Amino acid sequence: MTGMYGLFSTPELAQQAVDGLRASGVPEHEITIQSSEPLEEYRFGSRDRDTVMPWISVLGAAIGMATGYFLTSVTQQAWPISTGGMPIVTNWTNLIIIFELTMLGAVFASVITLMFAARLPRPLPKFYDREISNGKILIGVANPRDIERVERALRASSGEVRMMGTEL
Amino acid sequence: MSHNWGMAVDLDRCTGCEACVVACHSENNIPTVGATEAARGRAMHWIRIERYWEGEFPDVKVKFRPVLCQQCDTAPCEPVCPTYASSHSEEGLNSQIYNRCIGTRYCANACGYNVRFFNFFTPSWDKPLHLQLNPDVSVREGGVMEKCTFCIQRINAGKIAAGLAQRPLKDGEIQPACVQSCTANALVFGDLADPDSMVSKLAKSPRGTKLLEELGTKPKITYLQQGSWDDAPNK
Amino acid sequence: MTRRTNNSLTDDLLRPVLETSTKFYVTAGLLALIVATGFGTWFYQIYYGLGVTGDNWPVFWGFHETNFVFWIGISHAGTLISAILRIVNATWRRPVTRCAEVITAFALMIGALFPLIHLGRPWLAWWLIPYPSERFLWPNYRSPLVWDFFAINTYLISSLLFLALPAIPDFALIRDRTTGWRNWFYGKLSLGWQGTPKQWHRLESAMHMMALAIIPIAISVHTIVSFDFSMAVVPMWHSTIFGPYFVVGAIFSGIAALNIVMAIVRKTLHLEKYLQPIHFHNLGKLMLAMSLLWGYFVFNERLVTWYGNTPHEMAALWSTQMGRYSPLFWTMIFFNFVLPFPLLAIRKVRSITATVIASCAVVVGMWLERFLIIVPSLSYKGTPYSWGAYLPRWPEIVIFSSSFAAMALLYLLFSKFIPIISIWEMKVGEHPHIKVAAEVQEAEAAGELV
Repeated sequence: MTGMYGLFSTPELAQQAVDGLRASGVPEHEITIQSSEPLEEYRFGSRDRDTVMPWISVLGAAIGMATGYFLTSVTQQAWPISTGGMPIVTNWTNLIIIFELTMLGAVFASVITLMFAARLPRPLPKFYDREISNGKILIGVANPRDIERVERALRASSGEVRMMGTEL
Repeated sequence: MSHNWGMAVDLDRCTGCEACVVACHSENNIPTVGATEAARGRAMHWIRIERYWEGEFPDVKVKFRPVLCQQCDTAPCEPVCPTYASSHSEEGLNSQIYNRCIGTRYCANACGYNVRFFNFFTPSWDKPLHLQLNPDVSVREGGVMEKCTFCIQRINAGKIAAGLAQRPLKDGEIQPACVQSCTANALVFGDLADPDSMVSKLAKSPRGTKLLEELGTKPKITYLQQGSWDDAPNK
Repeated sequence: MTRRTNNSLTDDLLRPVLETSTKFYVTAGLLALIVATGFGTWFYQIYYGLGVTGDNWPVFWGFHETNFVFWIGISHAGTLISAILRIVNATWRRPVTRCAEVITAFALMIGALFPLIHLGRPWLAWWLIPYPSERFLWPNYRSPLVWDFFAINTYLISSLLFLALPAIPDFALIRDRTTGWRNWFYGKLSLGWQGTPKQWHRLESAMHMMALAIIPIAISVHTIVSFDFSMAVVPMWHSTIFGPYFVVGAIFSGIAALNIVMAIVRKTLHLEKYLQPIHFHNLGKLMLAMSLLWGYFVFNERLVTWYGNTPHEMAALWSTQMGRYSPLFWTMIFFNFVLPFPLLAIRKVRSITATVIASCAVVVGMWLERFLIIVPSLSYKGTPYSWGAYLPRWPEIVIFSSSFAAMALLYLLFSKFIPIISIWEMKVGEHPHIKVAAEVQEAEAAGELV
């Protein structure tokens, strides 16, 4: 896999680079962006924002709720044991178990969805540079069709241009 | 035909001799914990004689009250046990199932009568005292709760004997150890589901009250006394 | 080996992870020794039986249960600070969140050990797990102890995840800055995190959902712990006030613990630039509010009991106000209410030192509060003939002390392996906000955002 990327020291330069790449005909989804902090205030950093994650969390909560309901009422009836003159299926107290499992369902659903959506865990792809952890922003294109136009766009924004596989 | 075991305690007859306490210990394999542990408050008397007195000798007024598990119909000790070690049997008894007990002691805290006891240590009986153990009753290990069972082993034995002889149980046939040993005949045990039994009649007696009734536990033991507790005559 | 950088924030916050002093080893060793003593005492207790403690008839619960409620209470700091402040976008929370979340995680772990420690037959504790057993018996869902099992485990799992997720980018940071075993270790922990905008958005979305979930969980946990008492018809336990009373007390003690921990971390890891007086001021104000709220609940509870004058409850009440337990009660009032008030209410007095002194007092006071809820009520329950008393013996005191050492040790080890202040969140806090609305709105309107 070949590719070219530039390392930019400020978000403004990175935005410039993205605009330059777009202008030279690279489609949005082929541009790779990586940074060591979320940069949502900038246009390039706010892509991919829409997500159905919250609804999946709600779904997880619903599954948890159903689990809680069946766990308590079914097992209480499986072997009915009288305690304290209370009914066999005690809905008031079962609510507590149902509540906890509902919340646990929401939490698990959120975490599992995150793992899928962020594609974790995975081995670190080759298209990565450790300089990101020094505050640089990586803007690059994997398998570029026209490598010279890409290089020009990246250099125009004062990026430190690297080819795939080049290390410091 | 389901039984509903209950008891009546006649406070006007109780002399405080504590024969019931001793009988209960020997029938149910209850350990004597020793002087040091008893001083630490670890004594285990499934039935105890509560003694209240006022005044100085020779003008002492003493009152005795035997307290044992009340086998409450709405027992507060039952719902709180996480492992169903404390549950209600079909014959109205509060069953303590030793094998299920993991020793949280919540039941003991919830009990408003303080009639539940915990095995702080695993009891042991030096030879030859181990020969006195009742083979019909299990020996509990450390970490397990226990309390009065209305001598369930005697109830079961009585039911089995009546079943084998193919006749109904007679009133007074089953006697827990405390009832059997009471020198003043202050304790009466029987089937509250049988309207003709002695205990059913005593339960309706005008002399009858329930202990700590206001807690809402619906205890099954009726305490009989003439007048109120506060003006019980000098014994 | 570490790589050079010119980013001072990252440097400062990574230094404790990358550099280890002798003091660290000595402290860790001492704490580990105390913790080992605690475990040894626990095993001694299991071997000989609970009779080695001070528990008796009728006071069957004492130090172990007090510690249980106390540590679960301490765990309420992290969630409140982290989750609520995250949801309301309070920016001053940034350096404080991970400190707080760590307290929650470890306080919960320690607190969750105490139900095991107090059991008569702890080797059977697994019967609380709901699984189809060969005995056909399930846990009794009517029991508050089973509710505890569910609630505490839910909270523990959620808190650990809440702590772990935002740590992933920091693990990636350390992975990129180090070589050798650290690079491999943090590489595995970071799960291959790259930092694409999509990953950042999903992470923040997950954090948001979890923050929303974890607040009701936290409130439910200590309410359920309070149900361990209020479900029993015991004098001064069977009160409807217990739910909110315990939650407020938990948040109160949690913030106090957070203040103490932050002050220690600040000094020992040289983070004075990041944990600033303003953080202690704000937390101090919160703690003052909690102190007043706690005082309100205590007043409520006691006035209603005293006014009702039911014989059932008066012995327990008087034992705390004038009787055997009154020295502890009035000490508690002094530490929780009287002492913190001037230290926290008067702006000029409210320095870091003052906040920490008040916090230490509150931690002691809140421990006493738990003890005073449990023991006097059990001492004066039922018929007067059966009343009793309780004094702890050495196994309870050793286990109690070692729980504090365990907390310190776990915290120390955590700060060694994971930056105690969330680095990427601090960086976000330094962003200029001018470009936020305009550009993004523009792009959204033009349909350019994917």
